Amino acid sequence: MRRRPGVAGLQSEAVLRGQYKALGENVARIRMDLMKDQLSTFRNQLEDFARKHKNDIKKNPVFRAQFHSMCATCGVDPLASNKGFWAELLGIGDFYYELGVQIVDICLATRSHNGGLIDLGELCSLLSKKRRALREPISEDDCRRAISKLEILGSGFEVFTIGKKKMVRSVPTELNKDHNHILEIAQARGYVTIEDVENELNWPSGRAVDSLELLLKEGLAMVDDGHSDGKRRYWFPCIGSMSSDAIDAESEYNL
Amino acid sequence: MDWMKFLSPLKLTSSARPELLANEFERFVVGSADLEAEGFNPLKAGIIVFTNHRILWIDENNCRGGFLHLASVIQVYPPKKSLKKMFSTPRINLQICLSSSGTPCPYSQAASTSSMLIHIALRNSTSSVDTTFSKLTEMLETKAWHVNAESHEHSRRGLPSQDESSSLPAVQDLAGPSRIRPAMAGVSGILRKEQEQWEETDKNLQDAFVDLKALMSKAKEMVALAEKMRAKLMTAPTTQAGSMDDEDATSRQEMQDWMLSVGIASPVTKETAGALYHQQLSRQLADFVVVPLQKAGGMLALVDVYCLFNRARGTELISPEDLLRACTLWEKIDVPVILRKFDSGVMIIQSKSQSDDEIFSRIRSLLTRTEEPSFVGIGATEVARALGMAPALAKEQLLAAEQKGNLCRDDGPDGLRFYLNFFKDIGGEVC
Repeated sequence: MRRRPGVAGLQSEAVLRGQYKALGENVARIRMDLMKDQLSTFRNQLEDFARKHKNDIKKNPVFRAQFHSMCATCGVDPLASNKGFWAELLGIGDFYYELGVQIVDICLATRSHNGGLIDLGELCSLLSKKRRALREPISEDDCRRAISKLEILGSGFEVFTIGKKKMVRSVPTELNKDHNHILEIAQARGYVTIEDVENELNWPSGRAVDSLELLLKEGLAMVDDGHSDGKRRYWFPCIGSMSSDAIDAESEYNL
Repeated sequence: MDWMKFLSPLKLTSSARPELLANEFERFVVGSADLEAEGFNPLKAGIIVFTNHRILWIDENNCRGGFLHLASVIQVYPPKKSLKKMFSTPRINLQICLSSSGTPCPYSQAASTSSMLIHIALRNSTSSVDTTFSKLTEMLETKAWHVNAESHEHSRRGLPSQDESSSLPAVQDLAGPSRIRPAMAGVSGILRKEQEQWEETDKNLQDAFVDLKALMSKAKEMVALAEKMRAKLMTAPTTQAGSMDDEDATSRQEMQDWMLSVGIASPVTKETAGALYHQQLSRQLADFVVVPLQKAGGMLALVDVYCLFNRARGTELISPEDLLRACTLWEKIDVPVILRKFDSGVMIIQSKSQSDDEIFSRIRSLLTRTEEPSFVGIGATEVARALGMAPALAKEQLLAAEQKGNLCRDDGPDGLRFYLNFFKDIGGEVC
C-alpha cells in the first residue's frame, strides 16, 4: 500500500484502518459465537450421554476416565440420574445420593459469601439450574430428603428455621470461622450488636443472628438488654481490656 | 532368589495404594494372594492389583510392592481342574519371558529367550478364579501398553502427561488444511480457512455423538477438542470484556469451578475391588484427602469430604454409609489422617499432625507466654484467636485437655477459664 501525500492520504488511511479493525472485531465475535454454539451442543450431547449410557460408561474404565475429563473441561455435571419410580417411592437408587453431592457442592461454592448458611429456596433454584438438562424440577422436599441421607455423616449439616425462613447450614459449629470475625469486631469495645456485625461484615441478617446465638449457647457471650437505646448487646467477657477485668475480679474477691 | 529383586519396584502412596502410570487403569484387585515360583521363597498373603498394563503385588503391612509388566507375559494357563485339585488352593500360572540376566523382559516372538513359570495362588475364596483368569486373558489380548508405548514415542521418551499425548493430533488437524492450500491468502483466505475449520469441528462433533461406540472410538479427540474450546473461552473474553453478559460470566464461572473437581482416574469400585472394596476405598480416600485437608487448614467436615471425594470419582458415586465405613477403617491401617467425632455429633477428618497433643502443646505455650500464667488463665476465645480455629472447636480442645488432666477449670464471672494443672507436674516430681 503506497502512502499518498496530504490530508486526503491520511484520512483514507485512517478509514482503511478503521475498516480492518471493524472486520477483525466482527470475525472475532463470529468466532466466539460459533464456538459457544459448538460448546453448547457438545455439552448437551455429553449430558444426554451421561443420562442414557450411565451403566455402559461405568463398565469401561478407560473410557470412563476420558468421559469424566470431557465433562469436567466442558463444565458438564456427570451426575444425572432420573428420579424414577423407586426413588420417588422408597428413596432408593442413586438419585438422592447425587442430589446430596450436588447440594454440598453448591454449599461449598457459596460458602465464601454466605458463611455456610443458605436459604432452602435459593438452594433449590441453584440445584435446578445445575441439573437443567433433566428438565425435572427439584422440589424442596427432594432437597430435604437428600440432606437427610447425609445425616449419617455426622450432625452439622441440617435444615433449620430462622423466623419464617428455612435455612440450610453446611458448616458445623466446630469449623465455623464466622465466630472469629465477630470476636475481632468485639475486640474494640468488648461487645457487639447485631447491627454492628451486619454493617461491618456485610452479612445478611440471618447469618449474624445465627452466629451470635451460637456463641451465646456456647457460653462465650452474654446478653445485655438493659441499655437505653433498646438494642441487645452481646458482651464477650474475656476479651477487650483483659487485665482490667482481672483486676476488677481481684478487687471483688478482696471485698 | 529374592522376589523383590526379581520384580520391578513399585511406587506406593503413603497409604499403600499403588501409583499408576498415565493411561493405566485399575481393572481388579484380589486379596490374600501368594506369588510362587521354583527357586523362590513364596510371597505370602499380599494384594494383587491387575491393571491394563501391569500386575502389581502389594504388601500392605510393610508398605512395599513390586510389579510385573504384562508385556513380559507369554502365556496364561487356567487353573487345573481335577478331583484331586478340588480342595487345594486354585492357582493361575503365568509363563514369563526372561532376559539373559534372569529378570523379566518384554516378550517378542523373534528372540528366543528363556522363560519361567509363576504361580498366583488365590487363597481368598470370595474372588473367583475363573473370572480372574478370563479378565487377565482379556487384558493380555487388548495389549493396552502397546497403544501407550506409541504415544510415548510420539511426544518424547519418559512419562508423557495425558494432555500432551492427546493434544498432538488435534494440533495437526488444525495445521492440515492451511498447509494444503497456500493460495488462499488475504482476508478472504483467512475467513475461508476459519469457516472450514468450523465445519470440520461440527462434523467431528456430529460423528462422535452418534452413539456410545462412536464416542468411545473418538474419545481422545473429543477430550482434546474440549480442552481447546475451554482454553479459547477462558482467554477470549478478556479482549472484549465489554460485551460479556451475565450468562457468559456464569458459564465461565461454572467451568472454572469444574476444573477443580477432576481427580481420581482409577476410582476403587465394588466391581474391581470385590471383597477388598472398603479397605481399598479407605486407602484411596486417605490419599485423596491430604490435599484438600491442607487447603482447609488441617480439618474438614465429613460432609464436605463426601462431596469432594465423590466429585473426584465422577460417575462412580459412593454412598454416605460406604464413606463412613472407609473412614472408620483408618484406625486399623497406617494413614496420616483420622476421623474424629465431637460430642455434638459432628464428624470431621483431620490430619494426625493436628492431634490433641499437638494442639495442647500450643495451648501450653500460650499459657506460659503471659506474664502471670497462674493468674489470668485462658478462655476459648483467646485460644480461638491465637490458633485461628473456631471458638466452639477451641472450647472442645480445652475440654479435651482438661479431661486428660493437663488443664483445670475455673468457672468464674469471666466465663469458663482454664489454667495449667500444676499437680500433674508436682506429682511427677514426688514420684
